[in-house]
Amino acid sequence: MFWRMIRGTLVRQWKKMLMIAFTIALGASLASAMLSVMLDVGDKVNQELKTYGANITVVPKSASVLSDLYEVEGGQTGAYLQEDELGKIKTIFWAFNIVDYAPFLDVNVTADDGTQIRCVGSWFNHHMELPTGEQLDAGITSLRSWWEIKSGAWLDEQTAGDSAQLCMVGSALAEKYGLTAGSTIHLTGEMSDQTLTVAGVFDAGGEEDDQIFAPLNTVQAFAGLDGKIDSIEVSALTTPDNELAERAAKDPGSLTVSQYETWYCTCYVSSICYQIQEVITDSVASAVRQVADSEGAILDKTKLLMALITILSLIGAALGICNLVTASVMERSSEIGLMKAIGAQNGIISGLVLTEIFITAIFGGLLGFAAGFGFAQIIGHTVFGSAITMKPMVIPIVAILVVLVTLAGSIPAIRMLLHLRPAEVLHGGH
Amino acid sequence: MKKRQMYLRMITASLIRRRSRMLVALLSIAIGATVLSGLVTIYYDVPRQMGAQFRNYGANMIFTPSEEGFTLEDIQNAAAVIDSGDLVGIAPYRYENVRINAIPVVAAGTDLAGAQKTSPYWKVEGAWPAAGGEIMVGAAVAENFRISEGDSIEVSFTPEMEDGHDVVEDTYLDFKVTGILDTGGSEEEYVYMSLADLESLTGSAGRADVAELSVSGGGEVLAQYEERINQMGSPVQARLVKRVTASETTVLSKLQALVLLVTVVVLALTMICVATTMTAVVAERRKEIGLRKSIGASDRSIIGEFLGENLMLGGIGGILGSVLGFVFAQQVSIHVFSSSIRFMPMLVPVTILVSVAVTGLSSLLPIRGATQVDPALVLKGE
Repeated sequence: MFWRMIRGTLVRQWKKMLMIAFTIALGASLASAMLSVMLDVGDKVNQELKTYGANITVVPKSASVLSDLYEVEGGQTGAYLQEDELGKIKTIFWAFNIVDYAPFLDVNVTADDGTQIRCVGSWFNHHMELPTGEQLDAGITSLRSWWEIKSGAWLDEQTAGDSAQLCMVGSALAEKYGLTAGSTIHLTGEMSDQTLTVAGVFDAGGEEDDQIFAPLNTVQAFAGLDGKIDSIEVSALTTPDNELAERAAKDPGSLTVSQYETWYCTCYVSSICYQIQEVITDSVASAVRQVADSEGAILDKTKLLMALITILSLIGAALGICNLVTASVMERSSEIGLMKAIGAQNGIISGLVLTEIFITAIFGGLLGFAAGFGFAQIIGHTVFGSAITMKPMVIPIVAILVVLVTLAGSIPAIRMLLHLRPAEVLHGGH
Repeated sequence: MKKRQMYLRMITASLIRRRSRMLVALLSIAIGATVLSGLVTIYYDVPRQMGAQFRNYGANMIFTPSEEGFTLEDIQNAAAVIDSGDLVGIAPYRYENVRINAIPVVAAGTDLAGAQKTSPYWKVEGAWPAAGGEIMVGAAVAENFRISEGDSIEVSFTPEMEDGHDVVEDTYLDFKVTGILDTGGSEEEYVYMSLADLESLTGSAGRADVAELSVSGGGEVLAQYEERINQMGSPVQARLVKRVTASETTVLSKLQALVLLVTVVVLALTMICVATTMTAVVAERRKEIGLRKSIGASDRSIIGEFLGENLMLGGIGGILGSVLGFVFAQQVSIHVFSSSIRFMPMLVPVTILVSVAVTGLSSLLPIRGATQVDPALVLKGE
């Protein structure tokens, strides 16, 4: 009988029930969309902030202070990192958070008119097959995304092949020698001389405008430094530093075992630096504060902003649902009066109304969750051009929210109706 | 006159007597209006506030001298082009080779207060130099010379050989180390002192090698400033730090798009929520409509009364919402950006208008539906 009455209400009053389901669906979709976006916005913004370039630099231990301080000739200090160790960076504990990295080797070369030019060897879009089966294209094409290409295009290592001797030239230098894409320049290094074809001219808005960038092996050949590199720039996704990370950065030995584990297993910039030093022989990895710190600040602000907006919309959705449920329960005063008049107990009436509303709420909630997922994807694709990862924790949060809100909306109204005297209600006066 | 009084009386009486239902409706409208005014305020203020956060990345414009060099006065004249509200900080730098323990080090003299603003990411262990005779050393220098915070060091400078003299005497100054600078960049290899100290050490004043500026504003604004300064004909050449400006524009536009889209989605859903609640509240009163019709009220007057009532609710809800929305936006701004938000007077009438429109539209349909029903059937309860 109980279920028959419920079925009866749902079938006969389908219009009203549909409206409740619709409102609950709206609220649930709002909640799930905002929660998904909020939980993923940190990762997404972090990716965007990668346009600021590397946040970690790795240099040989002995060279870390020498080159600028004593103005050693040509910046060459005799200390190098090994090129064949580069792959190891992708094997550290936080390998997954290493988005991009590139090695650098600076040498001085001489142009035909006798001027010294700084020539930098690096990866442009170096393709790597990692032991984990992952594939990665790393290099300055993405690490120097702010470079403006004046003529030609980014040097493409993958299609160029080893025999093509290509390079990219800074805009100031290109102007001086009248170079554009396709022209050639003859350069003499310490050990060998080569003629390079210009693949592109870039404007970096800094000292790089006076330099030539070429693939690593080309530059190594100039100076006879096979397999050697000067420095590595690493772009990693990191968590903003806290007090623990700051203490650890000074001296990891000062931490207790459990603190050390927490620090090592959190992607602080200092723990990633530490792990890089573990795999690259005789290296010093340090955070580029300009990038690492600012990223942390902006990330924190964005997360907090989204969290507050989410809270506002959750409150809005909750009150909206609550309101409608109250309004629709109160509307049924005469029905409840009738039930009381023919002898129904309060418990049964409450059970009946609540069950009806909950069936509607489950239906609406499921629908809303699906719609919310869709909204989140629309936001993700429009703003960041990538899908929003759905976190499993959104489902229980939205479910609990819907249940609580429905209860909060219906219980006071039901209580009020139960206090009404059936005769008055049925008579139509209140 | 009498008719209008009666109309107003009916509306207000209905609002007061059906208090609980009307409260439900009013609450829902107020929520909608709060979300509207709160989110729109945040949306308009976010670029400004976030832009200030992005100034964490430090200088985004650099002044470099043309061949003959420039003076502090030139820098000041050029900086005057930039609107003082947009200029976050300016720090002129002068670099000289000095010696500590007879070993050469590059010393930078600057306006220290300005440098703190143009390089907010610098991490100083200890304190920034405040008075004369104080110095801050880079971490690499500190490690090399075994200098720690609180030490006293002697800095010497060898002036350029003047004509007619065979020997020049070195000048010496004693400094107290107030802090060690950690940046992860080449700044760690320099020592920093106030421009006045460097001038008294070298014996020449008024010169600078470069100036760093932190200017808030989008890419276009910055490009305009750059062009205007370069056209002044002074020895100052302005250049934008592409790495900072280009990236800031990209990230900031994404963030703004994010807030815009979120605002649109939240607003659309909230407004539909308000509409369904209003529909439910009005649909409940079919009996009343039937009664009025049976005692001879025309459809027009019924629609007019109901609409008047709901528009009034919409207005009150809108006013409530614009106040609450501003309070919310203010709280967000204080918590997230630690600064207060700008009040937008235009938003108040817009919020009220939108809530009146939404309540009006969402109640119009069910009222019209109710007026078309046969009063006898409604009153009978069928």
